[in-house]
Amino acid sequence: MEHKTKNGYEGLLIVIEGTDGSGKSTQLELLKKSIQDKSYGVMVSEWKTSRLIANVIDDAKDRNLLNATTYSLLYAADFADRLENQIIPALKSGFIVLLDRYFYTALARDVVRGQDIEWVKNLYEYAPEPDLVFYLDMPVDVLLKRIIGTTGLDFYESGRDVGFSTDFYKSFEIYQNKCLEQYDKMKSEYNFISIDGTKQIKDIHKIMNDEVQKLLDSGILA
Amino acid sequence: MGRLTEKHNLKGTLVCVEGIDGSGKSTQLALLRDWLKSIGQDVIFTEWNSSELISQTTKLAKKKNMLSPRTFSLLHAVDFADRAKQVIAPALKAGFIVLADRYAYTAFARDVARGVDANWVRKVYDFAYKPDLAVYFDIDPKTSLERICFNRNPKFYEAGMDLKLSSDPYESYMIFQGRVINEYKKMVDEFGLVQLDANDSIHSKQVKIRELLKEVLREKGIEV
Repeated sequence: MEHKTKNGYEGLLIVIEGTDGSGKSTQLELLKKSIQDKSYGVMVSEWKTSRLIANVIDDAKDRNLLNATTYSLLYAADFADRLENQIIPALKSGFIVLLDRYFYTALARDVVRGQDIEWVKNLYEYAPEPDLVFYLDMPVDVLLKRIIGTTGLDFYESGRDVGFSTDFYKSFEIYQNKCLEQYDKMKSEYNFISIDGTKQIKDIHKIMNDEVQKLLDSGILA
Repeated sequence: MGRLTEKHNLKGTLVCVEGIDGSGKSTQLALLRDWLKSIGQDVIFTEWNSSELISQTTKLAKKKNMLSPRTFSLLHAVDFADRAKQVIAPALKAGFIVLADRYAYTAFARDVARGVDANWVRKVYDFAYKPDLAVYFDIDPKTSLERICFNRNPKFYEAGMDLKLSSDPYESYMIFQGRVINEYKKMVDEFGLVQLDANDSIHSKQVKIRELLKEVLREKGIEV
Protein backbone atom coordinates (compact mmCIF):
# COMPACT_ATOMS: atom_id res chain seq x y z
CA MET A 1 0.00 0.00 0.00
CA GLU A 2 1.17 3.52 -0.87
CA HIS A 3 1.39 6.01 1.98
CA LYS A 4 1.24 9.78 1.72
CA THR A 5 3.99 10.27 4.29
CA LYS A 6 7.49 11.34 3.33
CA ASN A 7 8.95 8.53 5.42
CA GLY A 8 7.16 5.97 3.28
CA TYR A 9 5.39 4.12 6.09
CA GLU A 10 1.94 4.46 7.62
CA GLY A 11 2.91 6.62 10.62
CA LEU A 12 4.51 10.03 10.96
CA LEU A 13 8.15 10.76 11.64
CA ILE A 14 8.76 14.03 13.48
CA VAL A 15 12.20 15.19 14.51
CA ILE A 16 13.35 17.88 16.93
CA GLU A 17 16.94 18.91 16.27
CA GLY A 18 19.25 21.39 17.89
CA THR A 19 22.49 21.57 19.82
CA ASP A 20 22.82 20.64 23.47
CA GLY A 21 20.83 22.92 25.75
CA SER A 22 18.55 24.20 22.99
CA GLY A 23 15.42 22.96 24.75
CA LYS A 24 14.70 19.86 22.68
CA SER A 25 13.64 17.57 25.53
CA THR A 26 11.21 20.10 26.98
CA GLN A 27 9.55 20.59 23.62
CA LEU A 28 9.47 16.87 22.95
CA GLU A 29 7.56 16.26 26.18
CA LEU A 30 5.06 19.02 25.40
CA LEU A 31 4.54 17.82 21.85
CA LYS A 32 4.14 14.24 22.99
CA LYS A 33 1.44 15.27 25.41
CA SER A 34 -0.49 17.40 22.94
CA ILE A 35 -0.46 14.60 20.35
CA GLN A 36 -1.59 12.09 22.97
CA ASP A 37 -4.43 14.44 23.85
CA LYS A 38 -5.59 14.17 20.25
CA SER A 39 -5.83 10.38 20.69
CA TYR A 40 -2.95 9.46 18.41
CA GLY A 41 -0.41 6.78 19.25
CA VAL A 42 2.92 8.41 20.07
CA MET A 43 6.33 6.88 20.47
CA VAL A 44 9.44 8.76 21.54
CA SER A 45 12.99 7.71 20.79
CA GLU A 46 16.09 9.56 21.88
CA TRP A 47 19.55 9.70 20.41
CA LYS A 48 22.00 7.12 21.74
CA THR A 49 19.58 4.88 23.58
CA SER A 50 19.81 1.55 21.75
CA ARG A 51 19.91 -1.57 23.90
CA LEU A 52 22.75 -2.79 21.73
CA ILE A 53 25.33 -0.10 21.97
CA ALA A 54 24.38 2.96 24.04
CA ASN A 55 26.27 1.83 27.15
CA VAL A 56 29.34 1.03 25.06
CA ILE A 57 29.41 4.62 23.82
CA ASP A 58 29.11 6.00 27.35
CA ASP A 59 31.80 3.68 28.64
CA ALA A 60 34.16 4.45 25.76
CA LYS A 61 33.61 8.16 26.27
CA ASP A 62 34.36 7.84 29.98
CA ARG A 63 37.64 6.17 29.17
CA ASN A 64 38.49 8.45 26.23
CA LEU A 65 38.78 5.46 23.93
CA LEU A 66 37.22 7.02 20.86
CA ASN A 67 38.80 8.43 17.74
CA ALA A 68 36.77 10.36 15.16
CA THR A 69 36.05 7.27 13.05
CA THR A 70 34.99 4.95 15.87
CA TYR A 71 32.92 7.83 17.28
CA SER A 72 31.01 8.12 13.98
CA LEU A 73 30.57 4.40 13.51
CA LEU A 74 29.36 3.70 17.06
CA TYR A 75 26.67 6.34 16.74
CA ALA A 76 25.74 4.95 13.33
CA ALA A 77 25.37 1.48 14.86
CA ASP A 78 23.22 2.87 17.67
CA PHE A 79 21.06 4.63 15.12
CA ALA A 80 20.69 1.55 12.91
CA ASP A 81 19.63 -0.56 15.87
CA ARG A 82 16.98 1.94 17.02
CA LEU A 83 15.78 2.53 13.49
CA GLU A 84 15.30 -1.16 12.75
CA ASN A 85 13.98 -2.23 16.13
CA GLN A 86 11.94 0.73 17.34
CA ILE A 87 11.36 3.44 14.79
CA ILE A 88 10.42 1.53 11.65
CA PRO A 89 8.21 -1.02 13.46
CA ALA A 90 6.35 1.89 15.13
CA LEU A 91 5.96 3.71 11.81
CA LYS A 92 4.65 0.53 10.20
CA SER A 93 2.00 0.25 12.91
CA GLY A 94 0.88 3.84 12.29
CA PHE A 95 2.44 5.58 15.27
CA ILE A 96 3.53 9.17 15.35
CA VAL A 97 7.21 8.82 16.16
CA LEU A 98 8.87 11.76 17.89
CA LEU A 99 12.63 11.82 17.76
CA ASP A 100 15.04 13.72 19.93
CA ARG A 101 17.76 14.27 17.31
CA TYR A 102 18.16 12.44 14.00
CA PHE A 103 21.15 11.78 11.76
CA TYR A 104 21.59 15.55 11.31
CA THR A 105 23.24 15.49 14.73
CA ALA A 106 25.76 12.96 13.46
CA LEU A 107 26.40 15.00 10.32
CA ALA A 108 27.11 18.12 12.37
CA ARG A 109 29.27 16.48 15.01
CA ASP A 110 31.20 14.14 12.75
CA VAL A 111 32.03 16.82 10.19
CA VAL A 112 33.26 19.09 12.98
CA ARG A 113 35.47 16.16 14.05
CA GLY A 114 37.03 16.16 10.61
CA GLN A 115 35.10 13.41 8.84
CA ASP A 116 34.32 13.73 5.17
CA ILE A 117 30.66 14.76 4.85
CA GLU A 118 29.98 12.34 2.01
CA TRP A 119 31.35 9.49 4.09
CA VAL A 120 29.02 10.36 6.97
CA LYS A 121 26.03 10.82 4.65
CA ASN A 122 26.66 7.35 3.27
CA LEU A 123 26.47 5.88 6.79
CA TYR A 124 22.91 7.17 7.11
CA GLU A 125 21.74 7.07 3.50
CA TYR A 126 19.08 4.45 4.27
CA ALA A 127 17.35 6.58 6.93
CA PRO A 128 13.73 7.47 6.09
CA GLU A 129 12.96 11.11 5.40
CA PRO A 130 11.11 12.76 8.30
CA ASP A 131 7.72 14.36 7.69
CA LEU A 132 8.67 17.33 9.86
CA VAL A 133 12.01 18.54 11.22
CA PHE A 134 11.95 21.26 13.84
CA TYR A 135 15.25 22.96 14.44
CA LEU A 136 15.75 24.96 17.63
CA ASP A 137 18.11 27.74 16.73
CA MET A 138 20.08 29.09 19.69
CA PRO A 139 22.97 31.53 19.87
CA VAL A 140 26.09 30.11 21.47
CA ASP A 141 26.23 32.56 24.39
CA VAL A 142 22.73 31.52 25.49
CA LEU A 143 23.62 27.84 25.10
CA LEU A 144 26.73 28.28 27.21
CA LYS A 145 24.82 29.87 30.09
CA ARG A 146 22.14 27.18 29.96
CA ILE A 147 24.60 24.33 30.02
CA ILE A 148 26.89 25.74 32.65
CA GLY A 149 23.79 26.44 34.76
CA THR A 150 22.45 22.89 34.44
CA THR A 151 24.60 19.90 33.55
CA GLY A 152 27.94 21.63 33.34
CA LEU A 153 30.43 21.31 30.48
CA ASP A 154 30.99 17.77 29.26
CA PHE A 155 34.25 16.63 27.62
CA TYR A 156 32.79 15.57 24.25
CA GLU A 157 30.00 18.17 24.14
CA SER A 158 32.76 20.71 24.49
CA GLY A 159 34.65 19.05 21.67
CA ARG A 160 37.66 18.62 23.93
CA ASP A 161 38.53 15.41 22.07
CA VAL A 162 39.05 17.44 18.89
CA GLY A 163 41.70 19.60 20.51
CA PHE A 164 40.43 23.08 19.66
CA SER A 165 41.52 24.42 23.04
CA THR A 166 42.50 23.03 26.43
CA ASP A 167 40.27 25.65 28.04
CA PHE A 168 36.83 24.14 28.56
CA TYR A 169 34.91 27.36 27.97
CA LYS A 170 36.87 28.29 24.87
CA SER A 171 36.65 24.76 23.50
CA PHE A 172 32.89 24.63 24.01
CA GLU A 173 32.47 27.95 22.27
CA ILE A 174 34.51 26.91 19.24
CA TYR A 175 32.96 23.44 19.04
CA GLN A 176 29.35 24.57 19.35
CA ASN A 177 29.92 27.39 16.86
CA LYS A 178 31.24 24.90 14.37
CA CYS A 179 28.25 22.62 14.98
CA LEU A 180 25.90 25.56 14.44
CA GLU A 181 27.61 26.31 11.14
CA GLN A 182 26.88 22.74 10.05
CA TYR A 183 23.25 22.99 11.14
CA ASP A 184 22.92 26.24 9.22
CA LYS A 185 24.07 24.49 6.06
CA MET A 186 21.53 21.72 6.60
CA LYS A 187 18.53 24.02 7.09
CA SER A 188 17.58 24.29 3.45
CA GLU A 189 19.03 20.96 2.31
CA TYR A 190 16.77 19.04 4.71
CA ASN A 191 13.82 21.47 4.96
CA PHE A 192 14.24 22.33 8.62
CA ILE A 193 11.50 24.39 10.21
CA SER A 194 13.84 26.70 12.06
CA ILE A 195 12.52 28.17 15.31
CA ASP A 196 14.15 30.85 17.41
CA GLY A 197 15.08 28.90 20.53
CA THR A 198 15.17 31.98 22.74
CA LYS A 199 11.38 32.37 22.45
CA GLN A 200 9.10 31.41 25.33
CA ILE A 201 8.59 27.68 25.81
CA LYS A 202 4.85 27.93 25.17
CA ASP A 203 5.34 29.99 22.01
CA ILE A 204 7.75 27.45 20.58
CA HIS A 205 5.34 24.68 21.45
CA LYS A 206 2.51 26.48 19.69
CA ILE A 207 4.53 26.74 16.47
CA MET A 208 5.32 23.03 16.58
CA ASN A 209 1.82 22.00 17.50
CA ASP A 210 0.32 24.11 14.71
CA GLU A 211 2.62 22.50 12.15
CA VAL A 212 1.70 19.02 13.35
CA GLN A 213 -2.00 19.91 13.32
CA LYS A 214 -1.70 21.24 9.77
CA LEU A 215 -0.16 17.96 8.70
CA LEU A 216 -2.85 15.92 10.45
CA ASP A 217 -5.59 18.08 8.95
CA SER A 218 -4.22 17.35 5.50
CA GLY A 219 -5.41 13.79 6.00
CA ILE A 220 -1.93 12.35 5.79
CA LEU A 221 -2.75 9.52 8.18
CA ALA A 222 -6.10 8.73 6.60
CA MET B 1 36.95 4.95 -3.58
CA GLY B 2 39.71 6.37 -1.45
CA ARG B 3 42.54 4.72 0.36
CA LEU B 4 41.62 1.11 -0.27
CA THR B 5 42.48 1.40 -3.94
CA GLU B 6 45.52 3.64 -3.63
CA LYS B 7 48.98 2.50 -2.65
CA HIS B 8 49.96 3.82 0.76
CA ASN B 9 53.28 5.58 1.09
CA LEU B 10 54.08 4.51 4.61
CA LYS B 11 57.31 2.88 5.66
CA GLY B 12 55.75 -0.35 6.86
CA THR B 13 54.22 -3.27 5.00
CA LEU B 14 50.65 -4.46 5.34
CA VAL B 15 49.83 -8.11 4.72
CA CYS B 16 46.40 -9.67 5.16
CA VAL B 17 44.97 -13.13 4.76
CA GLU B 18 41.38 -13.77 3.77
CA GLY B 19 39.07 -16.71 3.28
CA ILE B 20 36.21 -18.46 5.06
CA ASP B 21 36.74 -20.40 8.28
CA GLY B 22 38.71 -23.59 7.90
CA SER B 23 40.67 -22.27 4.94
CA GLY B 24 43.90 -22.43 6.92
CA LYS B 25 44.65 -18.72 6.76
CA SER B 26 45.42 -18.33 10.47
CA THR B 27 47.89 -21.21 10.39
CA GLN B 28 49.65 -19.64 7.43
CA LEU B 29 49.81 -16.25 9.11
CA ALA B 30 51.19 -17.75 12.34
CA LEU B 31 53.93 -19.53 10.40
CA LEU B 32 54.73 -16.32 8.57
CA ARG B 33 54.90 -14.39 11.81
CA ASP B 34 57.27 -16.87 13.47
CA TRP B 35 59.53 -16.84 10.44
CA LEU B 36 59.62 -13.04 10.20
CA LYS B 37 60.42 -12.76 13.89
CA SER B 38 63.14 -15.36 13.62
CA ILE B 39 64.89 -13.33 10.93
CA GLY B 40 64.66 -10.18 13.06
CA GLN B 41 61.82 -8.30 11.38
CA ASP B 42 59.52 -6.03 13.41
CA VAL B 43 56.12 -7.66 13.20
CA ILE B 44 52.70 -6.79 14.58
CA PHE B 45 49.72 -9.11 14.39
CA THR B 46 46.09 -8.04 14.47
CA GLU B 47 42.93 -10.04 14.01
CA TRP B 48 39.30 -9.49 13.12
CA ASN B 49 36.93 -8.53 15.92
CA SER B 50 39.52 -8.17 18.64
CA SER B 51 39.47 -4.49 19.62
CA GLU B 52 39.22 -3.60 23.28
CA LEU B 53 36.55 -1.06 22.42
CA ILE B 54 33.84 -3.28 20.99
CA SER B 55 34.70 -6.93 20.39
CA GLN B 56 33.08 -8.14 23.64
CA THR B 57 29.87 -6.25 22.86
CA THR B 58 29.75 -7.75 19.38
CA LYS B 59 30.36 -11.25 20.70
CA LEU B 60 27.60 -10.85 23.28
CA ALA B 61 25.16 -9.44 20.73
CA LYS B 62 25.94 -12.34 18.42
CA LYS B 63 25.27 -14.81 21.21
CA LYS B 64 21.87 -13.24 21.77
CA ASN B 65 21.13 -13.07 18.02
CA MET B 66 20.47 -9.36 18.35
CA LEU B 67 22.09 -8.18 15.15
CA SER B 68 20.55 -7.17 11.85
CA PRO B 69 22.75 -7.26 8.74
CA ARG B 70 23.32 -3.53 9.09
CA THR B 71 24.20 -3.46 12.79
CA PHE B 72 26.37 -6.57 12.25
CA SER B 73 28.20 -4.63 9.57
CA LEU B 74 28.57 -1.43 11.58
CA LEU B 75 29.81 -3.12 14.76
CA HIS B 76 32.52 -4.91 12.81
CA ALA B 77 33.39 -1.60 11.19
CA VAL B 78 33.80 -0.07 14.66
CA ASP B 79 36.14 -2.88 15.61
CA PHE B 80 38.12 -2.48 12.41
CA ALA B 81 38.29 1.32 12.68
CA ASP B 82 39.56 1.04 16.23
CA ARG B 83 42.36 -1.31 15.23
CA ALA B 84 43.05 0.59 11.99
CA LYS B 85 43.64 3.85 13.86
CA GLN B 86 45.20 2.58 17.09
CA VAL B 87 47.23 -0.39 15.87
CA ILE B 88 47.62 -0.68 12.11
CA ALA B 89 48.29 2.94 11.13
CA PRO B 90 50.87 3.68 13.87
CA ALA B 91 52.68 0.40 13.15
CA LEU B 92 52.82 1.12 9.42
CA LYS B 93 54.14 4.60 10.10
CA ALA B 94 56.81 3.15 12.38
CA GLY B 95 57.90 0.68 9.68
CA PHE B 96 56.48 -2.58 11.01
CA ILE B 97 55.28 -5.50 8.98
CA VAL B 98 51.62 -5.68 9.96
CA LEU B 99 49.99 -9.09 9.65
CA ALA B 100 46.20 -8.95 9.63
CA ASP B 101 44.07 -12.05 10.03
CA ARG B 102 41.11 -10.84 7.95
CA TYR B 103 40.76 -7.29 6.67
CA ALA B 104 38.03 -5.08 5.17
CA TYR B 105 37.45 -7.75 2.49
CA THR B 106 35.90 -9.98 5.16
CA ALA B 107 33.26 -7.32 5.70
CA PHE B 108 32.70 -6.91 1.98
CA ALA B 109 32.24 -10.66 1.57
CA ARG B 110 30.08 -11.38 4.62
CA ASP B 111 27.97 -8.25 4.68
CA VAL B 112 27.12 -8.39 1.01
CA ALA B 113 26.31 -12.10 1.37
CA ARG B 114 23.84 -10.90 4.07
CA GLY B 115 22.21 -8.52 1.62
CA VAL B 116 23.95 -5.30 2.59
CA ASP B 117 24.60 -3.02 -0.38
CA ALA B 118 28.11 -3.66 -1.79
CA ASN B 119 28.77 -0.03 -2.52
CA TRP B 120 27.57 1.10 0.91
CA VAL B 121 29.90 -1.18 2.84
CA ARG B 122 32.87 -0.32 0.61
CA LYS B 123 32.32 3.35 1.39
CA VAL B 124 32.10 2.62 5.11
CA TYR B 125 35.62 1.13 4.99
CA ASP B 126 36.95 3.92 2.83
CA PHE B 127 39.48 4.90 5.51
CA ALA B 128 41.35 1.56 5.38
CA TYR B 129 44.86 1.42 3.93
CA LYS B 130 45.36 -0.78 0.89
CA PRO B 131 47.38 -3.86 1.86
CA ASP B 132 50.70 -4.44 0.12
CA LEU B 133 49.78 -8.08 -0.06
CA ALA B 134 46.32 -9.61 0.30
CA VAL B 135 46.08 -13.38 0.03
CA TYR B 136 42.78 -15.18 -0.42
CA PHE B 137 42.66 -18.87 0.51
CA ASP B 138 40.06 -20.50 -1.66
CA ILE B 139 38.16 -23.48 -0.28
CA ASP B 140 34.76 -25.00 -0.99
CA PRO B 141 32.04 -24.72 1.69
CA LYS B 142 31.86 -28.49 2.22
CA THR B 143 35.55 -28.87 3.07
CA SER B 144 35.34 -25.80 5.29
CA LEU B 145 32.38 -27.27 7.15
CA GLU B 146 34.15 -30.60 7.63
CA ARG B 147 37.21 -28.82 9.01
CA ILE B 148 35.38 -26.65 11.53
CA CYS B 149 33.16 -29.56 12.62
CA PHE B 150 36.16 -31.42 13.99
CA ASN B 151 35.67 -29.61 17.23
CA ARG B 152 32.45 -27.59 17.12
CA ASN B 153 29.14 -26.87 15.38
CA PRO B 154 28.65 -23.96 12.99
CA LYS B 155 27.70 -20.78 14.88
CA PHE B 156 24.49 -18.84 14.28
CA TYR B 157 25.84 -15.96 12.21
CA GLU B 158 28.63 -17.96 10.62
CA ALA B 159 25.96 -20.30 9.27
CA GLY B 160 23.90 -17.30 8.14
CA MET B 161 21.01 -18.55 10.29
CA ASP B 162 19.85 -14.92 10.63
CA LEU B 163 18.93 -15.02 6.95
CA LYS B 164 16.59 -17.99 7.41
CA LEU B 165 18.01 -19.79 4.41
CA SER B 166 17.37 -23.16 6.02
CA SER B 167 16.41 -24.38 9.47
CA ASP B 168 19.29 -26.86 9.32
CA PRO B 169 22.52 -25.12 10.41
CA TYR B 170 24.69 -27.36 8.24
CA GLU B 171 22.68 -26.72 5.11
CA SER B 172 22.42 -23.02 5.96
CA TYR B 173 26.20 -22.88 6.40
CA MET B 174 26.73 -24.40 2.95
CA ILE B 175 24.41 -21.89 1.27
CA PHE B 176 25.63 -18.84 3.18
CA GLN B 177 29.35 -19.57 2.93
CA GLY B 178 28.83 -20.33 -0.76
CA ARG B 179 27.62 -16.76 -1.12
CA VAL B 180 30.57 -15.44 0.88
CA ILE B 181 32.96 -17.31 -1.42
CA ASN B 182 31.26 -15.80 -4.46
CA GLU B 183 31.89 -12.35 -3.05
CA TYR B 184 35.54 -13.18 -2.37
CA LYS B 185 35.98 -14.38 -5.92
CA LYS B 186 34.62 -11.12 -7.29
CA MET B 187 37.19 -9.27 -5.18
CA VAL B 188 40.16 -11.13 -6.61
CA ASP B 189 40.03 -8.83 -9.63
CA GLU B 190 38.44 -5.82 -7.97
CA PHE B 191 41.13 -5.48 -5.29
CA GLY B 192 43.94 -7.61 -6.66
CA LEU B 193 43.71 -10.36 -4.05
CA VAL B 194 46.16 -13.20 -4.66
CA GLN B 195 44.20 -16.44 -4.73
CA LEU B 196 45.79 -19.60 -3.31
CA ASP B 197 44.26 -23.05 -3.25
CA ALA B 198 43.48 -23.90 0.38
CA ASN B 199 43.69 -27.61 -0.47
CA ASP B 200 47.43 -27.42 -1.09
CA SER B 201 49.76 -28.59 1.66
CA ILE B 202 50.67 -26.28 4.52
CA HIS B 203 54.26 -26.34 3.30
CA SER B 204 53.57 -25.42 -0.30
CA LYS B 205 51.25 -22.58 0.72
CA GLN B 206 53.86 -21.24 3.12
CA VAL B 207 56.55 -21.38 0.45
CA LYS B 208 54.30 -19.46 -1.90
CA ILE B 209 53.29 -16.81 0.62
CA ARG B 210 56.91 -16.20 1.66
CA GLU B 211 57.86 -15.73 -1.99
CA LEU B 212 55.06 -13.23 -2.43
CA LEU B 213 56.10 -11.30 0.66
CA LYS B 214 59.78 -11.30 -0.28
CA GLU B 215 58.83 -9.76 -3.61
CA VAL B 216 56.77 -7.05 -1.91
CA LEU B 217 59.59 -6.28 0.51
CA ARG B 218 62.17 -6.24 -2.28
CA GLU B 219 60.16 -3.52 -4.02
CA LYS B 220 60.50 -1.50 -0.82
CA GLY B 221 64.23 -2.11 -0.78
CA ILE B 222 64.14 -4.70 1.99
CA GLU B 223 65.95 -7.99 1.34
CA VAL B 224 65.00 -10.94 3.52
